[in-house]
Amino acid sequence: MAERVVAIINQKGGVGKTTTSTNLAYALAREGKKVTVIDLDPQGHLAVSFGVVNPKTNGIDGVMLDESEITQNLVPVRENLQLIVAGPRLQEIEQLTEGGAKRGDLLRRALHENLNDQDFVFIDCPPSSGVLVANALFAADEILIPMTSDFLALQGLSHMMGTIKRFEKVLNKKYKLFLVMSRYVSTRRISKEVLETMLEHFPNQVLATVIRETALLAECPSFGKSILEYRPGSRSARDFRSLAKDFLQGKVM
Amino acid sequence: MSGKNDNSLIGFDPLAWMSDDNVDEDGSRQQQQQKVIDEVKDEQVDVEQAPEVIEEFKEVSDVSPQIEDDKSDCKIILESVLNIQNVTVLYDQLLKALESNKPVEIDASAVSIVDTATLQLLAVFKQETVKLLREVSIDFPSDKFIESARLLGLADLLDVEQSAAGFF
Repeated sequence: MAERVVAIINQKGGVGKTTTSTNLAYALAREGKKVTVIDLDPQGHLAVSFGVVNPKTNGIDGVMLDESEITQNLVPVRENLQLIVAGPRLQEIEQLTEGGAKRGDLLRRALHENLNDQDFVFIDCPPSSGVLVANALFAADEILIPMTSDFLALQGLSHMMGTIKRFEKVLNKKYKLFLVMSRYVSTRRISKEVLETMLEHFPNQVLATVIRETALLAECPSFGKSILEYRPGSRSARDFRSLAKDFLQGKVM
Repeated sequence: MSGKNDNSLIGFDPLAWMSDDNVDEDGSRQQQQQKVIDEVKDEQVDVEQAPEVIEEFKEVSDVSPQIEDDKSDCKIILESVLNIQNVTVLYDQLLKALESNKPVEIDASAVSIVDTATLQLLAVFKQETVKLLREVSIDFPSDKFIESARLLGLADLLDVEQSAAGFF
């Protein structure tokens, strides 16, 4: 298994999971790290963000259904960076009702003794708390939670932390957990209050760099590029380069 | 749930429970367990009125209050259909689990139908094990299990509220 398996997770939609997955993975690859990203969201937006747009390409769906090896589904998308797309049948896995606990262990088993040469495996999770997210939590040792600075995101985080603690108890493991402030609007007072609340409950766990909300981040997926490729001199590109360094060094607020 | 100050733009802190939870883990787990037991008395279903089989649990727990050091788990996998016809089978399984003095894991992932008698049995089992400071968890409860437990007001007691789409 890779050195670090990180689930990028938040059951709330629109908090920047895929944006974080795309740009953090790319920034780390640019730093010379070997990175694999897994698109565990049936919407397949991570693949689109990297310019992979063929919806019929098999991916992690076939691997989890035990029909192919994970190494057969690696798509090299950039130097040092490879992608495993969602695949057209990932939604079927989300709706599995049989198999008990085993249906949550499909991804971990697929990763076992694979991708050993990788520094990082990132799992871009769907905005839900179902079978796919359970698979990510079974497989990962680390969790990165992108958070927007609004009240409902705090409410969602509360629910998700309950789920994570439950997993920790049942799986008898403690996740290394980091949070990143995403889509941050510094001119809003509530942004600062949400950040203060986060720091109160997650001391030494909020990564030092805040990802500010910009129009550019909304534009670059349509060109199949990361922000570092789309507008390398922009403040968003700087944010993600800085975030990558924080992530490597464990630099927190 | 903690409130924020008057000038705050956040009405209440949804994460406040995390701090409370840490306190309990540090020092007052027993108080938390007692609180759970007290709360169940206010639930819609009065577990004290459950069938005779429940009373037998109390008798068993009265004669076996000791806790052994053996930490290997005792697992029970619940059947798909749990009703009054097969509640005695489950009762026997729970009884053995109680006698084993090991942490008990109950896998409820396959449950598609569960009736009141079974939920009452599990509720009393949970109560008695809490009193004995024994670890019991209902793992991977199915949606139907959670739905039925909520309907009877037993979801909190059975600790199946924080679910992840049928996993926990």
